[in-house]
Amino acid sequence: MTHYVIIGDGISGSSAAETLREKAPDATITVITDEGEPLYNRILIKEHAKGKLPEAPISIHEEGWYEERDIELSLNTHVTSVDTDAKVVHTHDSGDLEYDKLLVATGGTPTQLPVDNSDADGIHHFWTFEDARGIREHAEQSDTGVIVGAGLLGIDFAAVCGAQGIEANYLMRGDRWWRYALSADGAEIMHGGMRDVGVEPVFDSGVDHFETDDDGHVTAAVDPNGDRYECDFAGVAIGLSFNTEFLRGAGLEEDNGIMVDEYMQTNVDDVYAAGDLTRFYDVLLGEQAQNGSWGSAKEQGRIAAVNMAADDEAEQFEWVSSYSITHFDFPFLSFGHPTLGDDHAERKYSDTEWRRIAFKDGKIVGGVLIGDLSPQTAFKQLMREQRVVADQKEVLLEQSVDLDELAPTQEQ
Amino acid sequence: MHMATSELRGSSLKLTRIESVSPDATVRHVDQLETETLDTFYAAVEGNRPITAAEMGLDAGDVIVGTEYYRVDLM
Repeated sequence: MTHYVIIGDGISGSSAAETLREKAPDATITVITDEGEPLYNRILIKEHAKGKLPEAPISIHEEGWYEERDIELSLNTHVTSVDTDAKVVHTHDSGDLEYDKLLVATGGTPTQLPVDNSDADGIHHFWTFEDARGIREHAEQSDTGVIVGAGLLGIDFAAVCGAQGIEANYLMRGDRWWRYALSADGAEIMHGGMRDVGVEPVFDSGVDHFETDDDGHVTAAVDPNGDRYECDFAGVAIGLSFNTEFLRGAGLEEDNGIMVDEYMQTNVDDVYAAGDLTRFYDVLLGEQAQNGSWGSAKEQGRIAAVNMAADDEAEQFEWVSSYSITHFDFPFLSFGHPTLGDDHAERKYSDTEWRRIAFKDGKIVGGVLIGDLSPQTAFKQLMREQRVVADQKEVLLEQSVDLDELAPTQEQ
Repeated sequence: MHMATSELRGSSLKLTRIESVSPDATVRHVDQLETETLDTFYAAVEGNRPITAAEMGLDAGDVIVGTEYYRVDLM
């Protein structure tokens, strides 16, 4: 009987387990996680930290979900190493586990700032449900905050501060939020959203070190300019370090993530990877890429499982990802790979509406929509069709995008 | 986009803006919706066109987290 082992019970690992059970009814399936609770909704934990959502709706699977599907779930289990020759997973105190096919879906851990006192009490990183509980509890008691990390994860801390009534400064290294994807026009809308909830963006700043009181609790952040920002709450979100330490010596090719092809296969036989930690071959982009969105991770888990069960390259990963920010009065949607490509087009429509489209070889590879999300379906369709449209930017920048106005596709 | 309207009606369902969520509710973030469902959701929020339950792919009582919280109610 085939034994499938999945390391990680986030959305990709759990999606893989569900798919494997459907595709391989008689197989043995084991899911290992070092967390103490089964799958929960990682997108919604920020809502819990904001104080808006109770705990219960965030849980997705009870332990019974695994029992009903005859899936062995091993909580609080730390994998120490994998022997890919002997096909054995070694754990800290739960013994060894033989596998026929292995899926690595262990995600990442927030990166700590390499500055003095970055581990002080009151300085938070945001990744797990347990993190969110701690952030909520502390935020409810806090008055002043500092946020570090001018990207999609850092802005969640801005929202927490806003919702919890914390007066905060958002220290950014450059001259705007998410400078890799947004121009000044787009970023200014986001800065306005921050200010509206009581968070002040501070540019050309960052953190040189944190100060603490005698009890080791953070009291201030000092930026490289020497400016001091008092805080009793700090949120740091400068990126993820992928959880691959246990794979040392396993022979998997890594390049800031585990390298996989479009079938989620690593370079080692019978070892697959899915979720945030993959650097996958994106068939729409035509190169290796990364993506941390929920939908992408779920689909990667499903695709990995389909191919594991088939013992073949049965289905490839082809996906247009979405990532929304819902913290402000206006909606925000990033899709595909808005920071990549060789060309772009953008336009500001109003004080709360802005659009950017990224192209590679004339095809849409991503974009950002602020305020008006109505073109998202059209843009995603053009991405999936890999249609050359960069020569028709005016049509794509019309407030209302009508694909019928695009010139007919030319033979390539 | 204006989401101040507390109750938006389509042909067979309405989205009701809510301020709190009960512990037994099924809650989804907009990023969990399929592209077409997301489109339909935002159209419903804006009141741009009629919505049918089948289009939404959602069940009555579901809560959707966007820039506001909305509960899906069948009409």
